[in-house]
Amino acid sequence: MGFKVLSGNGAQAEAARLARVQVIAAYPITPQTTIVEALADMVASGELKAQYVKVESEHSALQVCLSAAALGARTYSATSSQGLLLMHELLHWASGQRTPMVLGVVNRAVAPPWNIGADHADTMSQRDTGWIQFYPESNQEVLDTVLTAYRLVEDPEIRLPAMVTEDAFYLSHTFEPVDVPDPKVVDTFLPPKDARAILRPGVVSRLGSFTGPDHYVDFRHQVAEAMDRVLPKLQEVESEYARRSGRDLGGPLVGYRTEDADAVLLTLGTISTTARGVVDELRSSGQKVGMAKLRVFRPFPVEAVRALARDVSRLGVLDRSFTFGSSGPAASEVRSALYGVPSPPSVTSFLAGIGGRDVGPKDLHRVFQALLSSRSTGPRWMDLETDGGVVVHG
Amino acid sequence: MAKLTIPREELMYSGHAACPGCGPALAMRFLLKGLGPRTVVSVPASCWSVIATPYPTTALGVGMLDNAIEATGASISGLRAAADALGLEDLNVVGFAGDGGTADIGLQSLSGMLERRTDALYVMYDNEAYMNTGVQRSSATPQGAWTTTTPVAGEARGKLEPKKDIMAIVLAHHPVYAATLNPSFPEDFVRKVERARGMRGPRFFHVYAACPPGWRYDSDQTIELGKLATYTGIFPLYEVENGQLRITRRMGQLKPVEDYLAAQGRFRHFSPEEVRQVKEQAEARWADLLAREKATSTPAPVREVPPAGAPAPRPSATT
Amino acid sequence: MLEIRFHGRGGQGAVVASELLAQAVFFDGKVAQSFPFFGVERRGAPVTAFTRIDDHPIELRSFIEHPDVVVVLDPGLLRDTPVTGGLKPGGLLLVNSPQAPGAFSLPQGGTLATVDATRIAVGRKVGTATMPVVNTAMLGALARVTGAFTEASLERAIVAFVPSHPEENRAAARDGAESVRMEPVAPSSRPSPPSEEAAPLPFPEGPVASLPSNILHTSSWRTLRPVIDRDRCTRCNFCWEFCPDDAFDFDAEGFPVVKLLYCKGCGICATECPPDAIQMVTEA
Ligand code: SF4
Ligand code: SF4
Repeated sequence: MGFKVLSGNGAQAEAARLARVQVIAAYPITPQTTIVEALADMVASGELKAQYVKVESEHSALQVCLSAAALGARTYSATSSQGLLLMHELLHWASGQRTPMVLGVVNRAVAPPWNIGADHADTMSQRDTGWIQFYPESNQEVLDTVLTAYRLVEDPEIRLPAMVTEDAFYLSHTFEPVDVPDPKVVDTFLPPKDARAILRPGVVSRLGSFTGPDHYVDFRHQVAEAMDRVLPKLQEVESEYARRSGRDLGGPLVGYRTEDADAVLLTLGTISTTARGVVDELRSSGQKVGMAKLRVFRPFPVEAVRALARDVSRLGVLDRSFTFGSSGPAASEVRSALYGVPSPPSVTSFLAGIGGRDVGPKDLHRVFQALLSSRSTGPRWMDLETDGGVVVHG
Repeated sequence: MAKLTIPREELMYSGHAACPGCGPALAMRFLLKGLGPRTVVSVPASCWSVIATPYPTTALGVGMLDNAIEATGASISGLRAAADALGLEDLNVVGFAGDGGTADIGLQSLSGMLERRTDALYVMYDNEAYMNTGVQRSSATPQGAWTTTTPVAGEARGKLEPKKDIMAIVLAHHPVYAATLNPSFPEDFVRKVERARGMRGPRFFHVYAACPPGWRYDSDQTIELGKLATYTGIFPLYEVENGQLRITRRMGQLKPVEDYLAAQGRFRHFSPEEVRQVKEQAEARWADLLAREKATSTPAPVREVPPAGAPAPRPSATT
Repeated sequence: MLEIRFHGRGGQGAVVASELLAQAVFFDGKVAQSFPFFGVERRGAPVTAFTRIDDHPIELRSFIEHPDVVVVLDPGLLRDTPVTGGLKPGGLLLVNSPQAPGAFSLPQGGTLATVDATRIAVGRKVGTATMPVVNTAMLGALARVTGAFTEASLERAIVAFVPSHPEENRAAARDGAESVRMEPVAPSSRPSPPSEEAAPLPFPEGPVASLPSNILHTSSWRTLRPVIDRDRCTRCNFCWEFCPDDAFDFDAEGFPVVKLLYCKGCGICATECPPDAIQMVTEA
């Protein structure tokens, strides 16, 4: 099909269209809204044959998707921030009922105070809900990830829900060229959902049920085991996608110039792109640094992080949200992944870009300098250590 | 065996976990008789999520989906959307929620489902309190009734506030069909189910569902109590189709409400004054119904709701 | 430390019994820990409750696997629940039953005791005929046979904490203490057959239940059973129509037949039968 100039939100909608989703439910929230507006247009024009259910809350949006998925439909919804928090209860339902689905989340700060800037507090608060989480850095990656996510979650060995995030504004409202695959290519990669619904009309079956302590743990364990199968399955799915589309998504942790690096910075989302540029600059001035993008936060790629850490003495982890009373959420995951490995690197927790604070090359230079010069474990609130960079007041 | 007046086929299995004499169990039994096997029922946290028995058994001979307590309206919107997308247009999509799950925490979702004109049937089985958690008041608990959170002791006289009028709220959404049903009148019950089954668009049932432990009466009285509820005007039976109201159980004279109240422990503390209030409310309710029936007996002028008999517009733009 | 495990059904008062017992023990100047476990709050659903009694603070919070005493509030449970599981050799089994202790068995040896708590509760009008609340009668019997707490403290706890009809409950407790019968039993020489291991359930991926609930039998829920007098029956089918448990079949001649595996004894059929052809009789 070729290149189109799309926003991140446009890429989400385009991916949903290519995936031929059958049921869409959505409720408006900035900065997600343009996704569902675009889908409404596609449905209205007949470009996309789908049931579009206009709901009265995000909670209902997710329930519509849950029930539709239970009957075998491929569903899509998208939200942000408060909307995702309202969905929290139903996020647990989706993983517990094993209803595969994909949800777009435009990462936005959580109130109060109101703020619509990029921030990962919304999705990080959902770490324990049994959802797979992707943090892409470009609109191309958003589109590719949504398509691979459908294939992944509908696999009979997985059957878990997934959220594909985008940083507010840095992706959601940023227009850039995106290579949109041919629908025929997508149709082969992502055949219609196996309508082997969990809930079959006319057949005795109850999805959800209730159990005492006798069976409950078995079902929780099943979710855990399915989660354990995600990363190997993702590798299969991504390599097939690479064969068909020519684009390799790179797995859960995508390193850049990490070979022989003294210090490596782990990033999520759009900061990764800028960090890559800063690594090039630092390398050209002789500093041995690298970076790695954490694409998948759930399940956490423990093995990949360990492999990365093997030859590195300093790891920095840059989070765009904070777990109060602890550290950056990715930083604490990295630390626990490295527990017990021989001569582990130091791990420093950096926080930057909170509530939409801009993170430019200068800021990342400061991060790398801090990482190279000190073994402090942080957390360091880099947004508060600025010397008057670009701060846009909302 | 005399000719049966309701279908013989049972789609609710024995062995379920309802209390002896359970009104909601009868309601489900009659509902499924009227709907038949091509049915899927969405059930929020409520007595019925337990009555349906623990994993790996189920008490329904049709598909059943558990859903979050506040989300039954949305759940049936999702089921309908999926059924239409998957070519299962003939599937009866039903939500079956308690009064708390409907009139309290689920009201937003119910309103959403009615407003977006989901082609589905929403059933509120009204046992007039949170019974699954052990008899706490809901907005559907009658005024004055004892519950564990509206005690009767000292100055406290049970629930202070009147029962929420769910039918009025529902009718304000102009559903294609709304009716009150009572398992003490099985033929009327099943007839309404069959009638609703043949329609398209949002439909709503308010089902009287007596609860022996929660209302404090002996389990053998479930049917008698239900008859009294209707005959006293406390729970009159009627249906509203596209705005036209029709009373389906006509009474020349209302029976004394005392008979109904005295049979239940939850009202046992009522003073003559409190009984008189219930009586006045029942009479006013009945008079109002008669008046509305008369007023709507000729088709109302066309308004912004779907005309009678026409299928409701679907909530989507699939063509 | 004395450990007691109660088995009952929702509505019989097992939960209140464990609370009353803790109070009574407290009045005796000892330490108690009492807690119920129930999956759901439902009249008729199985309930287990645990009580520990000691002279010292109790450094343990878990279910009781090896009780010294098992109290069975609902004899129907003996049919489908391994209530004596883990009961210590020489332990005590107290059952709510009109039968003599000898009617029950205790292969590991110990003491068998029975008390007709249902009859006492009905007689003292504690609860209703369809759902008698047997807890206080059982506690009275328990006090007498174990001596773990005094009857005086039990009565004091009942008067202080039972919200409705405390005097009737106190009388029921006293009746329970007076009428309980006990019998020592030697361990049987034949080892009891190893309990049949339940075959592991085939777990599908995800919580999908697909076995019809009629494989579960609810006969033990009832205390009364309907008996149909065919001479009076007009075959009007009202009983079938109004049964919330779908517990009726029809025989070849079209007469209603109660499916006793499922009937919960609610009494609706008897009340609704126009010619009064159905009598509710007490279960043996
Ligand atoms: S209700 Fe009575 S008369 Fe009618 S069929 Fe049943 S037993 Fe016979
Ligand atoms: S007593 Fe109740 S449960 Fe038993 S057969 Fe009669 S109506 Fe059914």
